Amino acid sequence: MTLADLQVQARIQPRPAPSPLWRFLQRGLTVVGFLAMALIVGLWGTPYGPAEADFLNRLSPPSAAHWFGTDHLGRDIGTRLLYGTFWSLGLSFLVSLAGLIIGTVIGLVAGAAGRLLDLILMRITDSFFAFPELIAAVTFAGLFGPSTLNLVIALSLVSWMKFTRLSRSLAQTIAEQDFVTQARLNGLPRRLILLRHILPNVIPSLLVLWTSSWSRTILAVSGLSFLGFGVQPPAAEWGAMLLDGKAYMQTAPHLMIFPGLAVLISVLAINLAGDRLRDLLTQTK
Amino acid sequence: MKPFLSRLPGLACVLLGISLITFTLSYLAPGDRATAIAHARYPEEIAFPPELLQAIRDEFLLEAPFATQYLHWLGNVLRGDFGLSYSSQTPVWEIFTANVGETVTLAFTSLGLGLLVAFCLASLAVRNPGSWMDRGAVLLSSIGAAMPSYWLGLLLILGGAVHLGWLPSYGTGSPAHLVLPALTLAFWVMASQTRLLRSFMLEAGSQAFVETLRLRGIPEREIFFRHTLRHAMVPALTMIGLDLAGLLEGAIIVELTFARSGLGSLLAGSVLSRDLPVVMFLVMFFAIAYVVINSLVDAVQAASDPARRR
Repeated sequence: MTLADLQVQARIQPRPAPSPLWRFLQRGLTVVGFLAMALIVGLWGTPYGPAEADFLNRLSPPSAAHWFGTDHLGRDIGTRLLYGTFWSLGLSFLVSLAGLIIGTVIGLVAGAAGRLLDLILMRITDSFFAFPELIAAVTFAGLFGPSTLNLVIALSLVSWMKFTRLSRSLAQTIAEQDFVTQARLNGLPRRLILLRHILPNVIPSLLVLWTSSWSRTILAVSGLSFLGFGVQPPAAEWGAMLLDGKAYMQTAPHLMIFPGLAVLISVLAINLAGDRLRDLLTQTK
Repeated sequence: MKPFLSRLPGLACVLLGISLITFTLSYLAPGDRATAIAHARYPEEIAFPPELLQAIRDEFLLEAPFATQYLHWLGNVLRGDFGLSYSSQTPVWEIFTANVGETVTLAFTSLGLGLLVAFCLASLAVRNPGSWMDRGAVLLSSIGAAMPSYWLGLLLILGGAVHLGWLPSYGTGSPAHLVLPALTLAFWVMASQTRLLRSFMLEAGSQAFVETLRLRGIPEREIFFRHTLRHAMVPALTMIGLDLAGLLEGAIIVELTFARSGLGSLLAGSVLSRDLPVVMFLVMFFAIAYVVINSLVDAVQAASDPARRR
C-alpha cells in the first residue's frame, strides 16, 4: 500500500455522525439565515415605503405591481408585512428575552439563596403569576396610555415568572448532584458554581421554554395591537394592520387575510421548532 | 383535609401580594382621580371649584401616604366593599354580576364543545398511532395553538355572517349570537386539549395492565372505554383546571373581537374610561380566581395521589 493509498483511505474515513441536536441547530440556523436574507432582499427590493400612500390605488387586490394588494390608503401590504416583522417578531423577541433574563436571574438567586430569601422571592413570583398575561397587559397599557413602550413594559412585567419557576427548580436539582458538591469541596466560590456549573445545565430547558414564550408573546403583541392596546396604527405591526383592515373586510378581504396568515405561520414555525428542540433534548438525556 | 389546609398560609401570602400589586398599579396610574370622581358625581358640570376637589381628596384619602391608602382600601375590600363605579355610580359588585353571566356562558359553551371534539379526535388518533388520522389530529392541534383567535373570529365573521348571511356577527342577545364566538374559542380549546388527551391516552394505553387485559381476551373497545379512558381522564381533568385562566383570557379576546358584552368588554371599557374601582375589582377577580383554582387542582391532585399523600 503506497502512501497515496493511505491518504485516500484517510480521506474517505467516515466522520463520526453529528448528533441529531447539532444537525437540528445547523439546519435551523440555515433556515433562519435564509429567512433573514429574504427579509433584507425584500426590504431592499420593494419599490414602496411602509407609509407610502397612493390614493389612486386604494384597496386594490393582489396584482403583479402589488403582490399582496394595497390597503385603504393605497399602501403596499407586502411592504408593510415585511416591516411588520420588526414590530411583531422583534418586539415579542425583546419582551420574551427580557422575561428569560430577568426570570432566570431571580430563579437562580432564589435557588441558591437561603430559605427566607427563597420564600420571599417565590411568593412574589406566585403573586405576579396570578395575573393572566393579557388582562395585566390590557390594564397596564390602558391605564398608562396605549403605546408601544407601555405594551413592552406590560408584557415584560408578566413574562418572567415561568422562567423563575423553571430555573429555580432545575438549579435546586442540579445543586444536589455530585459534580457541584465536588466543586464546592474544591473551594469554588458560590458565584462561580452558579455561573459555570449550574447555569450551563439550566440553559437548554430554558431555551425550550423561551421558544414557547416567544410565540405566546407574538400572539399577545398582535392581539393587543388589534384590540387597540398596543402598537398604534399607522405602524405596520401585523395586529395593527388587521385593525386597520377590519372595516374593509367585506370589500377587500386581503387586508385581513395576509397579516393574520403572517402571525399564524410565524407562531406555528416557532412552536414546531421548539417542540423538535424539546424532543431532541429529552432524547439526549 | 391536610392537602387543603397546608396550602392556606402560602395562599394567603399570594392573595396579599395580588392586592398589593393591584393597588400599586392603580396608585401609579396617571390622571387626577379627584376630577374623575367629581365628573362621575356631577355629570352635567364641566369645571369644578377647587374646594370641591379638595373635599373629594380628603374623603377618599387621595393625599395620604401610600401605606395608609392601601390599608384603607384593603380594609374596605375585606369587608366586601369594592366602592362605586366612577362612571355609573353603582356598586362595582352589581356591575360585575350583570356582566359575568355572558362570559361564563361563552367560556363553558366553548369548553364543552372544544372538549367534545378534542375527545373524539384524540380517541380516533390513538386507535392507530402514526397513521394519517393521528398525524392529522396533531397537525390540527398545532395549527389551532398557533391560530390568533381574533383572526379566526374575523374569518368566521367573513364566512358565516358576511358571505353566507346565516348568523349575526356582532353583539349579544339571542343564542345565535353565541355561535361564532363559541366556535372561535372552542377551536382553541380543541387545539390545546387534543394533543394532551392524545398523549395521556397513549400513555395509559401502553401500561402493563392494559396488556394483561388484552391477553385475557377482553375486547379492544371495552379496554378503551372502561380502562384506558378512565386512566387518561385524571391528568386531563387537571390540565383543564389549570387551563381555565387561558380560557378566560381567550374569552376576553373573543368578546372584544365580536363586540359581545361581558367581563372582557367591561374591563376594556373601564380601563379606557379610567374607572379605577371597576378595573381594580376585575383584575383582582381574575387573579384570585386563577390562584384559587390552581390551589384546588393542586390539592385535589395531591389528595388523590397516594405517593404524595403524607
